[in-house]
Amino acid sequence: MDMPGYYEFCCRVKIISGHDALEKIPDTLAQLNAGRPMIVTDKGVVGAGLIDIVVDAISNGVNIRAIADDVPPDSDLRIVHSLARLYREKDCDSLIAIGGGSVMDTAKGINIIVSEKADNLMLFSGANALKRALRPMIAIPTTAGTGSEVTLVAVIKDHEKHLKMAFVSNFLLPDASIVDSRMTLTLPPAITAATGMDALSHAVEAYTCLAKNPLSDAHALAAIRLISDNLLKVTVNPGDKKGRLGMASAATLAGIAFGNSMVGMVHTLGHSVGSVCGVPHGACMAILLPYGLEYNMHKNGHLTAELLLPMAGAEVYVATPKEKRAQKVIDLIRRMNQELYEATGGRHARFFGESLDRNGKEMVPKEKLPDIAETALRDGSIFYNPEDLDYNDFLMVLEAAWEGKPRNACLTGKG
Amino acid sequence: MYLPEHYEFFCPVKINSGHKALEQIPFELDALNVRKPFVISRKDDSERGLVDVIIDAFKDSGIAIGIFDGVPADPDLKLIRELFNIYRDRGYDAVIAVGGGPVADTAKVLNIAVSGKPNNIEGCAGENLIKRPLKPLIIVPTLSGTGYEMSRNAFFDGRDYASHFLMPNLAVIDPRMTIPEDAVTTASTTLAALAHAVEAYTGSSKNPLADAYAYTAIQLIMEHLVNVIGDQQDRNGRLSLANAHAMAGCAFSNVASGIAHELGKIVGDVCHVPSGLCMGMLLPHILEKHMSESDYHISDLLLPLAGFDVYASMAENQRARRAVDILYDLLKDLAAVSGGAVSRIWKDAQVSEDTLQDVAQRAVGNGAISDMDCCVKILREAREGK
Repeated sequence: MDMPGYYEFCCRVKIISGHDALEKIPDTLAQLNAGRPMIVTDKGVVGAGLIDIVVDAISNGVNIRAIADDVPPDSDLRIVHSLARLYREKDCDSLIAIGGGSVMDTAKGINIIVSEKADNLMLFSGANALKRALRPMIAIPTTAGTGSEVTLVAVIKDHEKHLKMAFVSNFLLPDASIVDSRMTLTLPPAITAATGMDALSHAVEAYTCLAKNPLSDAHALAAIRLISDNLLKVTVNPGDKKGRLGMASAATLAGIAFGNSMVGMVHTLGHSVGSVCGVPHGACMAILLPYGLEYNMHKNGHLTAELLLPMAGAEVYVATPKEKRAQKVIDLIRRMNQELYEATGGRHARFFGESLDRNGKEMVPKEKLPDIAETALRDGSIFYNPEDLDYNDFLMVLEAAWEGKPRNACLTGKG
Repeated sequence: MYLPEHYEFFCPVKINSGHKALEQIPFELDALNVRKPFVISRKDDSERGLVDVIIDAFKDSGIAIGIFDGVPADPDLKLIRELFNIYRDRGYDAVIAVGGGPVADTAKVLNIAVSGKPNNIEGCAGENLIKRPLKPLIIVPTLSGTGYEMSRNAFFDGRDYASHFLMPNLAVIDPRMTIPEDAVTTASTTLAALAHAVEAYTGSSKNPLADAYAYTAIQLIMEHLVNVIGDQQDRNGRLSLANAHAMAGCAFSNVASGIAHELGKIVGDVCHVPSGLCMGMLLPHILEKHMSESDYHISDLLLPLAGFDVYASMAENQRARRAVDILYDLLKDLAAVSGGAVSRIWKDAQVSEDTLQDVAQRAVGNGAISDMDCCVKILREAREGK
């Protein structure tokens, strides 16, 4: 195992996991000297009946002051400010965020404003602008994917000024993350598949990119094992409680891994496809992951090869010659995408050419690929990718991922 | 993969490890809102120049630090009162502990005092009696700690304190600080860490997050312990071991303590030998007894002990046996590479049959193990090295 010359590792989020973990919230809040939370969530979570489950589980002992369910799919500065006002009006003393990445980011943004008694969130953007602990925040993830319940980042968009601001601080880590199988039982198969592949891409890039460390590795390996064991199962059989808990734990482990190791080109390109074409993040990750691994193979193939053990188990690992293991991992990820495609009745796209929106319209027109490659050049995650990429490299990978054709690894520019 | 129906995990400790990690402390203090830290250490470590390295690291930071380098091997509450007065009078706002064992325990108990309970420190002894976060605590481990300094426990002046709030905010692991005192101390502290990590990884209260820490600790120890005992100049090895100690302490704080830990403590106490060494020597004998029990996850242990290739190529029903054998081999290798120093400890201590009975009685008495005969058998086997 390589011990990096220097590394840092931190995840001070308390993790409470189980089939009835929600019931621990009153105690957890009390330990944090809080008891008047505002719940932050979105309409999808409410529609799925998840708020009722949470409210039932915690109303004994917790005085819920407000339930704000209007967080949009994309975090938004205006909403953050208006919910911060609501928090103050209702005299809340803590936050409970129930949802996916956007809800978590929104709650983190609200927390900055109400804790710092500020008017303008943007004053706190960037790295380490926060200097002290915020109000207690509990995160309840409902997607088993983003891992933002255990990361120190929030991304908030100013839609009026077309700005995207990132906030990075250990103080943005929630105090506790409640991983409860009931929160993902009703997640539709296509979203289950995409968010699960999102978690897989976090873990795989954490393990194979440049800023890895021994602890992020261990978290990543465990996440990959849990995803390989459970993702297809829960996509086929959504009510599988044990599998759901496995996926939820995997997302947390993967979130901790990449939160402490950074990611690489799969995320670089994924962010860009998301911002140019609006393809959901998880769906981008699922499609791009095998292409990223192929592109980097001559640099980090030995690391990708090791992932065969958690992905496929001891027998396959031993039966595959050492020099073929990395390719086997990539093949298995493609096979997962294929199986998820079949299990979701074709809704889990295998390549960008077949990514469709709700109305069946093509989401990534081929002529957009140059725009996406251009956007990718400006994404920070590229620094941690093992191999360099320029515009032409991005475009080459995108074209392959659009058509769904495995790329020939020997075309990669040696840098 | 084993996933419990319910688990909780909490590790507030941030790890900064590697080249010039100490120079990062001022930035970390800023993030913790600390202006004037109080550094405490042992005289020996100060004489070895370790405190000077810390002073150097603060040189360009503009932060004035206070230093107390007189923590004895058996500190008591009188010392805490003394340190509390210094801390208060000089306006310090955080404690930095250099070293493990008594220094870390002193820092934790001092932190209880300066965070608001100077007159009722003993009242905080026990399980979960500290109810709110304490002031920032930073630990700079040397190899003389077992990783216990990262844990939620402090054993101080005859009392046990246990609370997650005792865990440090930050562990700063710098190769300049991990200079071994002697082979037996390094072996002993690292075997304690190994026992903690292995018992976390194989025990019935394991969970995937504690596993990640335990797994990494076990791997690092297996890769580096024998080398470092053989070559104390192995800088990367020493850094790796100090990392492993810290990770084992984090894992240990999130699972129920195991038999090797409990029994090792008692043997160390009764026979006046380093308890970490006892834990390490007892460990394979204890695992051997539990090899076939489904509550114990011993076959999975082969993965961090031996790596991907050995694990994967071994039949599933052989893995537990192989894992235990590797731990026996480790003890043999340590004995060989230390010129017998590591294994002589028990023989020199002349642990008698009567002592074994006494140890077993105490172990059964405090609930560490239920079966007296089995306990005596384990102790005898460990003593005779079978």
